[in-house]
Amino acid sequence: MKLKGHKINGGRVEGEAIVCNDAFSFLGDFDPLTGNCLIKTPELEGKSMIDKILVCPTGKGSSRGPLNTYRAMKLNKSPKAIVCIEAEPVLAAAAMVANMPMVDRLDKNPLEVIKTGDWVKVDGDNGIVEVT
Amino acid sequence: MTKEEEGMLNGEHGPGIKRSMELLVKLGEAFDAERMIMAQSAHIHCAMSLDLLSELTEGATQCRVITTTHPNAYPDVLDPTGCKRIGLPENYDIYEFIHGGPWRQIEDIFKRLGYLLTYTCVPFLVGNLPRMGDVISWGGTSGAVTATSMFGACGSRDSVPANVATSVTGRAPYIGMAVKQNRYAQVLVELDGLDVANFTNADYGALGYYIGGKTGSKNMVINGLPKTLTLEQFRYLVSPMPVSGATNICHVAGVTPEARTLDEALGGGKPEEVITAGRDQIKEAVSKLTTARSDKVDLVKLGCPHCSIIELRNIASLLTGKKVQPNVRLLVATAKQIYVLAEVMEYVDIIKQAGGVFTNTCLGSQDPFNFIGPKLGVETVATNSARSAHYSARTSGGKIKLLYGSVKQCIDSAITGKWRTT
Repeated sequence: MKLKGHKINGGRVEGEAIVCNDAFSFLGDFDPLTGNCLIKTPELEGKSMIDKILVCPTGKGSSRGPLNTYRAMKLNKSPKAIVCIEAEPVLAAAAMVANMPMVDRLDKNPLEVIKTGDWVKVDGDNGIVEVT
Repeated sequence: MTKEEEGMLNGEHGPGIKRSMELLVKLGEAFDAERMIMAQSAHIHCAMSLDLLSELTEGATQCRVITTTHPNAYPDVLDPTGCKRIGLPENYDIYEFIHGGPWRQIEDIFKRLGYLLTYTCVPFLVGNLPRMGDVISWGGTSGAVTATSMFGACGSRDSVPANVATSVTGRAPYIGMAVKQNRYAQVLVELDGLDVANFTNADYGALGYYIGGKTGSKNMVINGLPKTLTLEQFRYLVSPMPVSGATNICHVAGVTPEARTLDEALGGGKPEEVITAGRDQIKEAVSKLTTARSDKVDLVKLGCPHCSIIELRNIASLLTGKKVQPNVRLLVATAKQIYVLAEVMEYVDIIKQAGGVFTNTCLGSQDPFNFIGPKLGVETVATNSARSAHYSARTSGGKIKLLYGSVKQCIDSAITGKWRTT
């Protein structure tokens, strides 16, 4: 399935999806030293986000979030891309400093059509997300 | 883009400015900015990555806009003996603790760029005072929401890398609060039966905490507050809003410069939503902020955001001739620049003689006691700051229990060791 959306940050990657149903913050919801998710739900807690495609509604929380994606990138523990419903400037900067492609405003709700574990291709340059 | 901005992007001003401009342009494109605009002020979080800071500033000689720094460097600089006594470890370095440092090298870059090392969350009280319409890129949501709502500055939800990039380029994307259309109030807040004339700062904090939690990222206008609202009252009102919600601007009708009337705040339109705050809502906020079951207080903390000189005067007057219980810690946070004035006024002497301890650390999200408190036997903490109470409960994972009330109640509990509800 192909979803058409809007570019936040360019680049093309593919990987396994990790879906988070709440607004995401890289400070608090993510450990840059291990690459693990810190959200306290049975599906997500302790799950590795390394090289995954993060799918979430939007960003939230501390303006320091991008420092964590940058740090994780340096340690090769960062996710690979972000797909969200509507971006906000802190989550966008988190993608930009860690060279993660990022797409938002898709023609279908990504939280409804992408499940954790799906293989997802993200084309940040053209704002296209493909679920296989 | 102007010729100069294109030059920045092409690397004519060095690799750091190029990288910074690239980030700002990308952000502008992502959020549909028509153009870049001149910025007037920046404020930088100290919790910083040395590598990223180096990348964004390499070759830059001096920042292009007035730039100040946020806490948390040298938390014991104002009062080394006192801090040691209450258990803040010597050379405690929150950066090493949270971010792995290395702090000294980061500070060298700050100095090279001419960042004013204020280490405070109240930049507008130490010389970084934006005017109406000034575009600011500020880390620390309490300062940004205050400057935007009280002075009419344009501070938006922004990230640490963008703050640095704006400081060295003097530019920001034309998005967020810089766009007039984005500033109008969407939610109207009416007050019902509140005796605001007799409100303490903590009452204002509870009101702000409630409103923030109800409005999310929407802009609001509050109707019915006195035009004489002081800087302190205003700060306590708006500072909790970005933590219980995600507020960018809260108009106070008759106080906010662009909200002389309700109609002006609403941009001539109708509010999307009207909410009412009365005594029950204030009670609800206070009960959310109060997580302690015991009335035995271990730590009293005042100064989130950092105390103004007027607050220090008030604390000194409440402590004159009094003594803090030996088993209670009283921590007062302010900026070094304000502390120096408080020394001249002898407020410092009075507070220290009573047993109070000064710090310029953050008493909110990065309060050291949120991390080390439980190990030191600090379990129950009293504060007059809704922002601080919210963060302590969460950052400590619930290990710190909170009591919330006025500065008078807080000081009383420091003197008696017991919390009294009225």
